Amino acid sequence: MSDRDRAGGEDALDLAAAALRAHTEDGWVLARPGLLERVRRAFRPSAPVLGTHELGDFRVAADVVVDGLRTAVDALPDAAADRISCSTGGDDRLESVLVEVAVAFGTPLPALAGRVRRVVVARLRELLGEAAPAEEAVQVDVHVGDVVRTLREVR
Amino acid sequence: MRTTPPGAAPDGAHPDERTDERTDEVLARRAALGDRDAFGVLVDRHGPALYRYAVRLLDERGQADDCLQDALLAAWRGLPSFRGDASVRTWLFTIVRHEVHARSRRRAGPGGAAPVDAEEVLERIRDVRQDPERTSVQAALREALDLALRLLPPRQRSAWLLREVEELSYEEIAQVLGTTSTAVRGLLERARTTLAATLEDWR
Repeated sequence: MSDRDRAGGEDALDLAAAALRAHTEDGWVLARPGLLERVRRAFRPSAPVLGTHELGDFRVAADVVVDGLRTAVDALPDAAADRISCSTGGDDRLESVLVEVAVAFGTPLPALAGRVRRVVVARLRELLGEAAPAEEAVQVDVHVGDVVRTLREVR
Repeated sequence: MRTTPPGAAPDGAHPDERTDERTDEVLARRAALGDRDAFGVLVDRHGPALYRYAVRLLDERGQADDCLQDALLAAWRGLPSFRGDASVRTWLFTIVRHEVHARSRRRAGPGGAAPVDAEEVLERIRDVRQDPERTSVQAALREALDLALRLLPPRQRSAWLLREVEELSYEEIAQVLGTTSTAVRGLLERARTTLAATLEDWR
């Protein structure tokens, strides 16, 4: 469209759109801390997972289990959790865990997979007690979800 | 006394939040695993645009805070089931639009929203333009645009904001509005015509 074809007001409209695009609302600046705090305290409903300790059975939210596994994997110096999914059976017993990790370039993958599996099983034991499945009974597949130069790009 | 070093993010935000190089998709996957810091980065990255969008769809600025809060909580809770069929940004705008729509429907009641008086809007735009006290042309233009936007039906207004201000593609806008790219093209055409005509006297 040439300048001559432009209807009256279109130049002003373009300028106004650009002005709005560059503008951050005062309301956002004021609301942001409260919104972030509210989200940080928010509960995320999720399916129950069976745990057992000396006093008997209990249930823990799958979201808590996933969060616990994420922090365990992230504690490794050369891996970061990318995806984690859990499957439970009819009595809420944990049956399988799938962990995908991102690794730093050059990391020997078979050794890393073994270490990821060990920290996952150990954390499951902490979280679920005797209801945690044994290592050989649990399907813990470690996939390389994303190979990155540095873990800084993931964590 | 607490001081904020130059370049630090304000209001207690993590200093890396403005320079975080992780993609939205990586942050979303991390947030789905319970990483609240990753979600905080997403909020800081897209929050200003989501707020800008919500404010202009709701008309009442006081409602934008509650709307954003509900939308962000819905996003946090929905992240574990987010599969990446749309971009994270498009998905967030879609959630905000649903929240806005629900609030607008509740507020309007069974009779629908009250009509906007076009003459009154034009009069107010003339006042903004001629105000000798105005200190910034940019601010005056924004104010005039906000008034003009009130003349648009919700879907036209939404499409125009997403395209011209937030720079989403036609396809992305269609996802947010739950329609087709062809329908978006029509909405934008009508919105532009109305807005340009409303701002015609602005020189």
